This record gives sequence, C-alpha cells and structure tokens, in this order.
Amino acid sequence: MFPFQIEKIYLDVKAEDDPVTQAVLKGLPEVPVERIQDKRPLIKDYSSFQDPIGAGKKNLLLTRFYGRRLKPCPGTSHHICCGYHVINAMTNCPMDCSYCVLQGYLNNPFLTLYSNWDDLLQEIEAFLSSHPQPFRRLGTGELSDSLALEPFFPVSQMLVPFFAEKKNGILELKTKSAEVSHLLRLNHRGRTVISWSVNPPKMIEEEERGTAPLRERVDSARRCQEAGYLVGFHFDPMIFYDGWEGDYQETIRSVFKRIDPKRIAWISLGGFRYPPQLKGVVKERFPGTRIFLGELFPGRDGKFRYLREIRVEMYQKMVGWLREVDPSLFIYLCMESKEVWEKVFGWSPKNSQHLNRLFENRLKEFLER
Amino acid sequence: MRPIQKIPLEQIDLSDETFSVNFMPDLKRLRSSIEEVGLIQPVLLRERPNGYQIVCGFRRVSIFRDLGRPEIEAGILKEKERDDLNLFSISLHENLTSRGFNTVEKAIALAKLVQQFQVDPVVVTRTFLPLFSLEPHGKILGTYLSLAEMEDEVKRYVLKEEVSRFNIRILSSFGSEGRKALLPLLASLKLGENRLREMLTLLEEISLRDRIEVKDILHRPEMETLLAEKELTPSQRAERVKKFLLSLRYPRMREIEENFENRRKRLDLPSAVSIRHVPFFEGKGLRVEFQFEKMEEYRSILSSLSVLPERKEFQEMLQNP
Repeated sequence: MFPFQIEKIYLDVKAEDDPVTQAVLKGLPEVPVERIQDKRPLIKDYSSFQDPIGAGKKNLLLTRFYGRRLKPCPGTSHHICCGYHVINAMTNCPMDCSYCVLQGYLNNPFLTLYSNWDDLLQEIEAFLSSHPQPFRRLGTGELSDSLALEPFFPVSQMLVPFFAEKKNGILELKTKSAEVSHLLRLNHRGRTVISWSVNPPKMIEEEERGTAPLRERVDSARRCQEAGYLVGFHFDPMIFYDGWEGDYQETIRSVFKRIDPKRIAWISLGGFRYPPQLKGVVKERFPGTRIFLGELFPGRDGKFRYLREIRVEMYQKMVGWLREVDPSLFIYLCMESKEVWEKVFGWSPKNSQHLNRLFENRLKEFLER
Repeated sequence: MRPIQKIPLEQIDLSDETFSVNFMPDLKRLRSSIEEVGLIQPVLLRERPNGYQIVCGFRRVSIFRDLGRPEIEAGILKEKERDDLNLFSISLHENLTSRGFNTVEKAIALAKLVQQFQVDPVVVTRTFLPLFSLEPHGKILGTYLSLAEMEDEVKRYVLKEEVSRFNIRILSSFGSEGRKALLPLLASLKLGENRLREMLTLLEEISLRDRIEVKDILHRPEMETLLAEKELTPSQRAERVKKFLLSLRYPRMREIEENFENRRKRLDLPSAVSIRHVPFFEGKGLRVEFQFEKMEEYRSILSSLSVLPERKEFQEMLQNP
C-alpha cells in the first residue's frame, strides 16, 4: 500500500526502452499509461486546471533529461551556504507541504522521474573524479523528497551502492518519509547519510500533507542508525507561532528518545523563508495556511525571512535545547547571514567554503575512525 | 427559427433572467440610439406556454418598455428548438459582438455556466474564459466565481474602482460580514490598486493570525477614532489606517523601530542630519546623511556628528539596532 496514489503515467516514448522505465512500469502494473511524443502540450493542458500543481502530483511523467543533472545547490546570495550538490534524478514530489518552494518555480507540475540513469551516474562519477576533496556531499533532496518514489522505484538501491564504492562522495538522502525498508539491507559503507526534515506534529499535520508523522520519521531514523547509517535532522523550515517553544522542545525530546546523538552527522536549523512569488501560489493552494502570518521581511537576497531578532531567538533557544542533549552535536544554520551565525554561536564560518570544510571534518570524525 | 415578427411587450416575461448577465448596464447610449434610429437588431425570444422568454435583448426590451412602446421586433425560437446552454451561448456571443461585458457580468456569466447550466469547470476554463479575453486558468475562473457570490454593493465597488483580480480574491476570503463592514471604510479612503492590496492583505493576515473577523478589527476603538476624525483628507486617513494596521500586523518590528526612533531623537541631531538603519534591520550598519548650503552649517553638522561615538544611544543603534 503506497502512501499516495499515482493515477496515471505519462510515458515519453523516448524513455520507453530505458531500464528505469521498465522497472517503474513493472512496479505500477495497475496504473494506466499514456504514451506521449512531447510533454509540452501536456504541461500546457494542465496549466488550465484549477490546481495544476496538485493535479501534477498524482501523475507520473517518465522522460529523459538532457543536460547537466548535477549542480551546486543554488543556496542564496549574501548568506552562508553549506556547499551541497544537487542531483537531479527526479523533480516534484507526491507530498504536499504548503511551504514547498518548488511550487513557485517548477514549470512542469508532474511528478517526474528521469529515466536515463546511466548518464546520471556517469556524470556523478566524472564530478567526483575531478573534485578530489575528501568528501563532496551530494543529494537528491532539493528537487523532490529523496525517498518519495521508493514504494515503486527504489532510487536508494541505485544510489547507495554506487556511493558506497566512492572514496570522496557522500550521498545525503533528505526525506519526510518513513519508507526506509529498501535501505536497511544495502551495503552503504558509511557513504550515505539519511536525514529527516522534522517539525512539531502540529505543523506536520497542518502544513506537511502526505508526509509521515514525526513518530514514524524518528522510528525510521532509528532503524537506519541500527543499520549503521549516519543520520541527520533538519529543523527546517522552522515556523514561528504562539507556543512554538514548547512544541519544538517536545519535538527534540521525541527525536532523542529514540536516536543516538553520537551517530548523528549533522543537524540544521532554518527559519521559514520564501521567494516573493511563492506566497501567491501557496495562498491559492492552501487558503488556510498560517505560515505567512509571522513577521517576515525581504532580506538581502530578496527572500522573505522572519525578522532577524526572531530568527536569532529561535536559533539560540534551539541550539541550547539541542546542546543539552549532547554538546558535541554538529549544528549549522541553513542560508543564514554571518551576523546571525555570530549572534547564535558567538562565531561564524568565514564563508560558504569554510562551512563546507567543517562538514568535511565532521565526516572525517566518523569515516576515518 | 420563425421569421422576424412584432411581439407585444406584455407577452414578454421581463422577470425571467435565465439568460441575462446584466449588471449596472449603461442604457443611456442604447436608449438614445433607439430614440434616434429605432431598433437596429431584433431581439431573440423563446416561446413559452404563457408568453416569451428573452434570450438576447434584455436591455432593448427594457428600454422599449420604459419608452412606452407596445411591441418589439423579435426572432422567435420554438420552445424545444435548442437547449438552454446553447441559447445562453448564443446570448453571450451576441452580447460580445455588440457591447462586451464588464467584470461583474463576466463573473455572472461564468457562474451561470458552472452552476445553472452545469458545465464542467475545466470546459468553462478552456472554452469560455478565452471568449471573455481571459487566460484559460482555473485560478481565474475561481476568482470570477467568487465575485459572482459577492454582495451587489461590493460588486458595484469592484466595477467603479476597477478592483484587480488579486484584490477580488482577498475580498472573497473576508466573507459577507467582513466585506459589508469594510466597504464604508474603503469608500472613504479612495485607495489605488496597490494601497488597496496592501490594506486588504494586512486585514486578511491579522484576521487569520488572531483568529478574529475582519469586522472586529475594523470596530476596534483606535480604528473608529481614526475614522471619526473629520479633518483628515482621504489620503491622510488612508496613511493613518495603514500605519495602525501595520502596527497590529508587525508588533515586534514596530517595537524595534520605535526603539530606534527614540534613540535617534535622544541624539538631538540637527534636522538636516538623518540616520537610517539597514532595510528591515537585516544586517549591520547605519546610513548617515546630511544636507547643507553654507560652510558654517557643514562645520556645525560635522561637530555634532563627531561626538556621536561617545553617545550610548548611538552605540546601541550601531551594535543592536
């Protein structure tokens, strides 16, 4: 039983013979398939729907991707970013978080899986060969949920063993899912970090539709830890509201009730932020959402964030609560300014490269023991 | 269809608005045209057991009645000759080629298609929105459908002030009570599109955040005091209302701004000197600007600036704006 339903598969005829396509069709034998020559008329057709984004999530497009599929995480200007690289294996997501930034800039509303995986793996191979730094962090969690398609196409089975053989590549699978059963038996050699975005249950219920409940996410993280994986947690996006402190403290307690803090690779904190064009889309799709009701203002990169004083307060408290659990936790801020880093931690990475080096050092602690 | 014939007005049912989308029709030009040259285009009627139903020509029949004319030339359709949707479509096309539709009439037409004639909203979006020169998007259909549901006085305001689709969407979220409470305020402020958007957004977000009705915000004593101040111009009143709503919507920002402003005042700088924080206090630094015409003024300003580093208020503004 899948946590979501695929109503139809649109199959680009150019992708028809790819093994990935065949695997998906085998995994979804009941789902009707429509072969298409060109996806553009289809995308145009969907744009006349009342909610093209919502409709697109129920339909899987199998197609090929022509172009670079490995890119530096775009991060954001004037802020410190972590140097992660994004693998474009699939775009869009069957989950439906109200704050999802993909709603604002993906022209193609379909849940899309690119079938030319050989090209992708070659590109990753070439990238890692030409970047001999100790650890390059790459992941599939920016343009989709990394484990979104696991029920019918276990992406992890292709990527985890691939990275297990790499000396300098670390795969991060970011998710809000609990679909980890495929991962548990894989030989990962410590080269894959599985991380969960976490928020208080109230927020998950109100703003993260179609995602696993907190309890299931934590339970999955526990199973992954037991299978020897390093895990991570992203308290991102943190939402500020009356009573946030109690709810986030309780969330931290729920996580560490089951998780060994010594086998956590990293924890990120990020206040809710959004590009200006997102608000209109979200308010249309989720009229009852409360995510825009905080004191959010445009920053130097044009994105809206909570008033700096509010962010600092949130991060300081979170860092305090997390350090109470384990002072050695590696905690970083996602897309934040030096000023905010300094106020929260009393120091700041000099720049994004510096933060990237700190990640490398962190990984060495685990992998070169 | 039967040949054109003259039909007595008393046999035409003016109360049957099945195919009408009129809202605040401008009858002056049509009336003077009829008075001048008579009826150019016959109306279209459908036979009913007790008379005739208007398919096209509501305004023409209405003017003929007002002018006391006994009959009007009409094309006549037999009762079962065409179905209702087909007749409504004919009516829309006929009006489009002659006069066009205002925003509210488009809304009424689209709502009738969906609700009365049971046309699938996707079909309405694809087929009828382009007919009204609108992009075929479900969101646009949704906006017009919500406008069709609004009160007549709100519709009149939308037409008169040419309210945008964005603002119509916010108005639709307020509910009938909220819109009724809001309308007198809006009418007294004379807001342009952007200021209207700003105000509606503030009201919407305060209402959602505090889980209160828009009317409860508008009935707050501070707001009522503001509205009672007779000497304010519409523009001044609009500015005050906006300031008040901003302080409700962004209380922490207001507090920080007030602190900054209080410190700035305590510095007692010459009026030609301004000190500004970075936008939205996002980042470090201050911007100091001054203006002078004479060398003496320049020296005086420099002198007042030179002591700022020693002032506690200035240090706080820099370190902790």
